[in-house]
Amino acid sequence: MIEVRALTMRYGRTVVVDDLTFTVEPGLVTGFLGPNGAGKSTTMRAVLGLESPAAGEALVGGRAYVSLRRPLRTMGALLDAGAVHGGRSARAHLAWLARSNGIGAGRVAAVLEQVGLAGVADRRIGGFSLGMKQRLGIAAALLGDPAALMLDEPLNGLDPEGIRWLRHLLRTLAGEGRTVLLSSHLMNELALTADHVLIIGRGRLIAGTAMDALAGYFQGDVLVRTPHPERLTSVLRGHGATVTARDDGALSVRDLAAAEIGALALAAGITLAELSPRGASLEEAFMRLTGDSTEYRTAQEAAQ
Amino acid sequence: MIDVIASEWLKLRSLRSNLYLLACSVAAVGACAGIAFMIGRGFDNQTADERLAFPTNGDGIGNGIAVAYFVFAVLGALTITSEYSTKMIQTSLVAVPRRQVLLLAKVPGLAAVTLVAGQVLAFAMHAASMAVLGDRAGQLLRGGVTLGTSLSQPGVLTSMIAAGLSMAAVALIGLGVGAAVRSTPGALVVLTVIIVVLPVVAKTLPMPLRAQAGSFMIENLPLQIAGVGGGNLPPALAAGLLFGYVAAALTAGATVIAPAGRRIKALAIGAAVAVVVPAVPVAASPGAGPSALAWADCADQDLVKEMRCASITVPLNWAEPSGRKIELTVGLLPTTGAQRRIGTVFAIPGGPGGSGVAALSTSAGSFAELRARFDVVSVEPRNTIDKGVLPYDCLVSGPWITWPDTRAEFVELGRRNRAAAERCRAADPEFFDHMDSASVARDMEAIRAALGEEQLSFVANSYGGRPGIDYSRLFPGRVRAMVFDGSVDPWADRAQGRLAHEEAFTRFAAWCAADTACALHGQDVGEVWRALVARADRDPVPVRGALPRIAYSGFDIKEAAAPSVIQPGSAPEYPRWRQLADAIARAAGGDASGFADYVRQSTKSLKVPSFIGMNMTHCLDGLGFRDYEEYRDKRREGERLLPNLAGTELWHSLGCVGWPVPATNPPAPLPAKRLPPYLGVGSLTDFGNSAGIVRHVPGSGAIQYQGNGHGLYNSGNSCIIAHVNRYLTSLSLPPAGAVCRPAGP
Repeated sequence: MIEVRALTMRYGRTVVVDDLTFTVEPGLVTGFLGPNGAGKSTTMRAVLGLESPAAGEALVGGRAYVSLRRPLRTMGALLDAGAVHGGRSARAHLAWLARSNGIGAGRVAAVLEQVGLAGVADRRIGGFSLGMKQRLGIAAALLGDPAALMLDEPLNGLDPEGIRWLRHLLRTLAGEGRTVLLSSHLMNELALTADHVLIIGRGRLIAGTAMDALAGYFQGDVLVRTPHPERLTSVLRGHGATVTARDDGALSVRDLAAAEIGALALAAGITLAELSPRGASLEEAFMRLTGDSTEYRTAQEAAQ
Repeated sequence: MIDVIASEWLKLRSLRSNLYLLACSVAAVGACAGIAFMIGRGFDNQTADERLAFPTNGDGIGNGIAVAYFVFAVLGALTITSEYSTKMIQTSLVAVPRRQVLLLAKVPGLAAVTLVAGQVLAFAMHAASMAVLGDRAGQLLRGGVTLGTSLSQPGVLTSMIAAGLSMAAVALIGLGVGAAVRSTPGALVVLTVIIVVLPVVAKTLPMPLRAQAGSFMIENLPLQIAGVGGGNLPPALAAGLLFGYVAAALTAGATVIAPAGRRIKALAIGAAVAVVVPAVPVAASPGAGPSALAWADCADQDLVKEMRCASITVPLNWAEPSGRKIELTVGLLPTTGAQRRIGTVFAIPGGPGGSGVAALSTSAGSFAELRARFDVVSVEPRNTIDKGVLPYDCLVSGPWITWPDTRAEFVELGRRNRAAAERCRAADPEFFDHMDSASVARDMEAIRAALGEEQLSFVANSYGGRPGIDYSRLFPGRVRAMVFDGSVDPWADRAQGRLAHEEAFTRFAAWCAADTACALHGQDVGEVWRALVARADRDPVPVRGALPRIAYSGFDIKEAAAPSVIQPGSAPEYPRWRQLADAIARAAGGDASGFADYVRQSTKSLKVPSFIGMNMTHCLDGLGFRDYEEYRDKRREGERLLPNLAGTELWHSLGCVGWPVPATNPPAPLPAKRLPPYLGVGSLTDFGNSAGIVRHVPGSGAIQYQGNGHGLYNSGNSCIIAHVNRYLTSLSLPPAGAVCRPAGP
């Protein structure tokens, strides 16, 4: 369990994290979502004790991270896959990390296997691709077999296969009852991975909710075009749908899946010219939630 | 903590670049070998005397140590700055959130590697230097050290180990600086300043600031830790300083790396350690007490300008300390401050009756190297003939001495001596009666106490050996070291002590036989000489043209010739032998003016006078005869042993016949077991006496200059100065049988 309580972080006079409070529960994959500069990384650095908070605290398993004698056994973290010395081999890198927390050498081989780097374990990290470095960072986080994992933008640089692998891995780890927190600035990345999502903007918590609920709340509509809009409207409303007529003559249908709409139209003998489920709504929801809290926008975006 | 240390060790080991970097330190060995090569080349092109004046290359490490330091410092700095430059520090801090632990855990591994590598490197640098110097390394220099100092010499092994240790220390300083600066280029700049720039700047400063600043440079600490040079800090302080530098650098690093809010604590603890450790030996070391002497410019304008003078008041009669007081002038040539001061060397003047202050000024050049480690003091002793209490003109001369053949002549000599002595004594009898060497020794002890020194080291020149012996007898615990240079052995048979003069006569004869410049070339010089002396003893040889009319007895001729026999002047001309041969040839022809001319030049007297000023000390020191019988026995022994110069050995003793004051300070045994080993030095003609004195002190050593001369140290004999300086600085004696050879023509 990761608890953040009334955390405030400042860089000079700039407030980066502002009175942030949340809890990351075990057994779930929690997404930490926010635009660039929202304070995600700063919050994570505060949890790890890399930065000192101006106020509030961050606890891992009920204790401050810096007070843990062998912290890697409690929480694994990946902040920056590039924070390695290119002159060492992957194995040597994991070996010193393991030794620093009294973790047996057997774990080094195990995590290398687990992240798929066993074959390149003795190559210098300097020659690794970003994706390989991400895998190495994840291996480092897994080294202590920790009850909690905290990963900052772990999907960056991974190829589609790698993304699928990591999703599966994180779900498995959460399934084992571990606490998993991963950050992203892309809603899409999290949609299929996270059970729970924390959305922050400008250092403040905007929403903390189950991913299902978020998706449901901002669920998209189905765009329907038909020569007989009045008849179809009454049929669909008869089955509990919310139907709105658009200016261009199309219908926006909510609360009914596209397949059901198609089946009802067929049964009523109504011809459909178009039946389009509109699914980008999570992204829209996110944009809508964080719109006014985005730190960095182009002038054009700001003018809209 | 153990886990973190082990982890840091893995970090250090797993970077191949660290190994390459360590390999770069081999350049230091190359620097040492290269500079040793240049020194060797320069050395070979010098004359023997110039070689003696060469600066030492020491253990040879100094030439390359900056290179070694730089490599080790970079290794230390990179240990942490490479983590910052690669951002790996973040990973490290996630694994080890206690930041000081992370920093300090780097210390053991880095220290272990650099300790081993440092020792290997130090010994390799030393071995390379010594190998390149080869045999030249063993050349003893005027400074008292050899051109290259080998591990068998005192302190060298310690300084080597300290040098290796200092390399590890520098690596840790690099680590501290790296942690404080958090950037590789920044750390390199800071470390270059510490290792290269500051020492160079220090060397451009004027003395004594140069020595003071130089002493604090890391590269000069190993020698100071070993106590064999490098600067003027005591060993414990130098060691403390090395530790303190490491502590200071690591404190800086620990302070910067500490989370905001904990920095003050890290700074306070570290600063306390860095200051307290070097401060402890400073507080603990007693050092010399304050000098009670008020040093000022000397009144005598003829003295060298760096000479300082002070006066000290002592009782005239040491048996009555509260009685009449006399004032003595003490002269000081202060230490240059280039090296850690060992103490004070007391240069005891000869004579008796010479001013040590004037002698020290004249021979200041002889003491130049010694002054790197010592203050050198001397005194115008109470028996200085121009002190002004007794009339100088009276003391500087005296009666002519005869060689009595009968008891009546012996009594007559005594009558003349007493009359002459009483003329001088009348001005201040009490003063005249307290001119013995034991009183001079007690005056020296008063000076020691006034200087605040626990012990003194001595260079006793000529008759200065006698106060030296008396000091040893009276204050054995106060003697750190004592050198006798051409001193008279008071316990030896006098005729035995003059055998060397007979050998000098043999050399004179041999020279005459070989050199056509000798007026007696082609004749048997011994026969001519002995015939002349025998005839003159029967019928003195007149000095033509002298007013009043005088004639030289055989004894007079021998006495006049003796100084020329033993001091022929510089080879190959031997001017005084030439002069002597002329004088002999003329005297054989019935004119002794050749001897008289020389005597007149040096003594302003027609014959060699017996100096009252010397006798007032000689006679109190027991040089005289108990009675006529003792004289007769001694004379017979002399005539048996000394075919050519018999009688000259009794000259000073004959001066004491009839002396008005009893011998208050006859020779007495030394408390040999309570004295440190002594060193005796001397020339062909006076070595036997110096060697004889030091045989009374167990463990002592001696070295002979196989040439002519007297007062070798003061007269600037580089080889003797080298051996004496080595003894005075490190208390190591020349090997048995060691000799100094005169420079070839």
